Amino acid sequence: MKTLHLAAAAVLASALAAGGALAQAPVKIGLVLPYSAGPFVAIANEITDSMALALEETGYMVAGRKIELVREDTTHKPDVAQAKAKKLVFEDKVDMLVGPVASAELTALFDFAHQSKVPLLIPNAGDNEVTGEKCSPWVLRTSFSNDQIVRDMGTWMAGKGYKKVALLAFDYKAGHQLMGGFKKPFVAAGGTIVTEQYPPFGRLSDFGPWLGRIRDAKPDAIFSFFAGPPATLLVQQFKEFGLDREMKLTGAGWLVSPLNLPSQGQAAAGVIGVLNYVPAIDNPVNKSYQERFQAKFKRVGSEFGAQGYDTAKLIHAALAQAGGKTDDKAALVKAMHAVRIEGTRGPLRIDPRTNNVVQDIYVFETEMQGSAVGYKVLDRIRDVQDPPNGCTLGG
Amino acid sequence: MVIQLLNGMQLAMLLFLLSVGLSVVFGLMRFVNLAHGTLFMLGAFVGLSTVEATGSFWWALVAGTLASAIVGGLLYLGLLRRLQAESPLKQVLVTFGLIFIGLEAARIIWGDYAERLPGPALLAGSTALFGVVYPTYRLFVIGLGLAVAAMLYFGLERTRVGAIIRAGVDDRTMTAALGIDIGRVFFVVFVLGCALAGLAGVVAGPVLSVYAGMDMGVLVLSLVVVVIGGPGSLKGAFVGAILVGMVETFGQVWLPEVAGMLLYGLMAAVLALRPQGLLPAGPRP
Amino acid sequence: MTPPASGTRHVVAVLLAAAAGGYWLASGYYGKELLAETAITAILAMSLSLLVGQAGLVSLGHAAFFGIGAYALAGFGARLGWPPALAMAAAVATGAVAALLVGLVAVRLAGVFFIMITLAAGEMAHAWFLKDRLFGGVGGMAGVPRLDLSAIGIDTGDPASFALLALGVAILVYLLLDRLVLSPFGQTLRAIHQNEERARALGCPVGRYKLAAFVVAGAVAALAGTLAAQRSAFVSPELLTWTLSGEVLIVVIVGGGASLLGVSAAAALWIGLRHQLSTLTDHWMLAMGAIFVVLVLVAGDGIDGAVRGLWRRLAQRRGP
Repeated sequence: MKTLHLAAAAVLASALAAGGALAQAPVKIGLVLPYSAGPFVAIANEITDSMALALEETGYMVAGRKIELVREDTTHKPDVAQAKAKKLVFEDKVDMLVGPVASAELTALFDFAHQSKVPLLIPNAGDNEVTGEKCSPWVLRTSFSNDQIVRDMGTWMAGKGYKKVALLAFDYKAGHQLMGGFKKPFVAAGGTIVTEQYPPFGRLSDFGPWLGRIRDAKPDAIFSFFAGPPATLLVQQFKEFGLDREMKLTGAGWLVSPLNLPSQGQAAAGVIGVLNYVPAIDNPVNKSYQERFQAKFKRVGSEFGAQGYDTAKLIHAALAQAGGKTDDKAALVKAMHAVRIEGTRGPLRIDPRTNNVVQDIYVFETEMQGSAVGYKVLDRIRDVQDPPNGCTLGG
Repeated sequence: MVIQLLNGMQLAMLLFLLSVGLSVVFGLMRFVNLAHGTLFMLGAFVGLSTVEATGSFWWALVAGTLASAIVGGLLYLGLLRRLQAESPLKQVLVTFGLIFIGLEAARIIWGDYAERLPGPALLAGSTALFGVVYPTYRLFVIGLGLAVAAMLYFGLERTRVGAIIRAGVDDRTMTAALGIDIGRVFFVVFVLGCALAGLAGVVAGPVLSVYAGMDMGVLVLSLVVVVIGGPGSLKGAFVGAILVGMVETFGQVWLPEVAGMLLYGLMAAVLALRPQGLLPAGPRP
Repeated sequence: MTPPASGTRHVVAVLLAAAAGGYWLASGYYGKELLAETAITAILAMSLSLLVGQAGLVSLGHAAFFGIGAYALAGFGARLGWPPALAMAAAVATGAVAALLVGLVAVRLAGVFFIMITLAAGEMAHAWFLKDRLFGGVGGMAGVPRLDLSAIGIDTGDPASFALLALGVAILVYLLLDRLVLSPFGQTLRAIHQNEERARALGCPVGRYKLAAFVVAGAVAALAGTLAAQRSAFVSPELLTWTLSGEVLIVVIVGGGASLLGVSAAAALWIGLRHQLSTLTDHWMLAMGAIFVVLVLVAGDGIDGAVRGLWRRLAQRRGP
């Protein structure tokens, strides 16, 4: 009899502790990221780890419901990404999806999210069209659009006296979007593009040939877009060829991402970048994020991690606003539109007209800080919002 | 123009170091080792760890080369030797499987982040040459490639071991009939080829980034070198490497629209017109 | 090389189809996706089996025709707006033409050189679709239409129905290729594989036979590609990577090379294993690689040979 009493008491206690939530299933967030293969494994892990950091702060609870992250690995294949998203939605019954990293996987996921009416939050990919002409009421972006990153940079550079600029990016959609987005305002502000170089995407790369051509064009600065190993190559070779004595290296900030600094070494100092995040941003949320991330992982949190952290924050705020209810997906998306959060990047919100994030954009420069390369924020462009660009969500 | 020539030459010498082992093994044993690129990556990673531990690029060069030689040797004795008698199909598939094992092992040991293998301080900075300013380290890469090519040429043409290897490439059965332990010759050549791949990995470290998967891009390029030059031929590997280096460098700048296809087109054309390669190994006149 | 098995293969075929049907009944949504992927991989593997197992032509560029079929469906079906059935037929024809062009050069080579030239052709196709602008380059293109079977009451948009469709096509391909393998054409291919010089001496136009096999294999691979594009409504250069060619080659070898049923079973094993391992660990490729190496080393005749050995032993035990 005694054991029975104990068991009954335990049930009663847990029921009291959980309040009315006893019978409620957890909120499930499906992560569709390339965990096991391809060049974006590090990014996938950084996003997931940072989302976990954000949710730990809330005890994985919202409005009396537990929050659960369900990981699925895309193996860096678009068709697998899509099949895994279907599994998450139909079998695991997740309430929303977060993913992917690569643009091909996004193309494969987009239509599925649109047709199945499950909110998809994009934590990294930047294709303009996704929150432009192709936009869907169910696909929201917490990261950036390519155009959003570079739109104000042309004016900024022309204003600082960089009048002649060479463009350098891989020959693919994102490369052309970022270069095109930079070029128009730059030319309008009185700048001249002296040469545009687009190396083929995804080859064993050596920038020597292109740097030679750029040197011949005698620009004041290079504006570039590269990420990962090619970014490291460019930063090193720019120095090796002695171009740092003739011009400034600038670009979308991934060029000198915290993920690249260890491999770039001191060659990374003196680069000007523009991005939605840089570890040196001075606000309490970012300070606490970096402290906790560095304590746990012994390295600086990157823009990918920060985007993951902010994504989880935004989801949590929207769930709180919706009273923890997830059955009505349209109401959930509305709540995501309604909330305003303070993220690592400063104030954030989702624009109901495009479903793209509205955020601050930072111009920064890398410099030697003691024996290592660090970041210094030069300028902050507030509240950068995309025009509808053909998106007809209204709002 | 001079810069592009030097760039092409630098890439060519890296490819030569990487491909020459593959080519001679191919020619001597009719053995296609797709895991050759993995040994290149292994050399780079071991070099990286050595630099982090000792701070010296030169120790990294030694350690990376040795590591690839040892692992290559163990692979040969433990696994690949058995495939000698098998069809090329099985060789391709087993070494293809090894690529994935190597890739994942590298991820487990060295992680998912790209790293940089710093070059020696001695060779930092740039040098003025032929009227252009060029990174000193890259000149070193070109010099090293030429030196290795010269040593290999001397070794093959002027020493007894070289004569045996040449004989083995020309006619394996005949050489074995002369009482020469052809198995041991294979082993020596295989290990030497792996060592050179490891050397290439360390040398490439300061030019490229070091990361799990760095082997995939170079593997196909080195196969192109072997096929174009003619399997089994030192001169072929040298000429093939220079051709591929130049086509890759100038093609990307002058014909960016088709640059991606250019090399494979060249490879297909050589195979179709001269299946034995441009400078095939074989009985000299 | 091995001549096809006798009537027992029909029993095995029915068993395999029944297993697939049972899995279809028992599985959830994701299971249906896996089943469709298995059927598509089986078609691709059977097409390569015709080359490797019958004609002895080891291609390391077979994914190119798979990808060309998928892209051609996207082109005809999505870009030009042709009805999906017509677009599929045109895509298969495109695969055949592409295989004819590559084959004209490739079949003149043998052994390692054949492997290398098919690799080069595959990489050329891959490089083309990485650069191309019509189909979205690296990012690929969505919106590939699925076959419209609403006239006979089947909604191919439903994963369960689509898995059945893919299975049905796989069975059709099996029946067709089975006939082809047993036909005089198949016999001639095996004769060439066994002794090319003798076949030539007997007046057989060896090159033309090899070319015909290459074209049929390319067309069937393209058919598999059109199904792959429909499954995810999406195409990208990932479909043409040389590592995919290598994977299919392994499936074929593990399956026993010449046995259509063996390579189909190996396709199921391959997809199932990958799924199971990848749910266990992010380093599943290490395990897959190791399993490959072991399978290729020990599996003399592959699954087909193992099953036949078992069958013989059972038969002996039952016999007097």
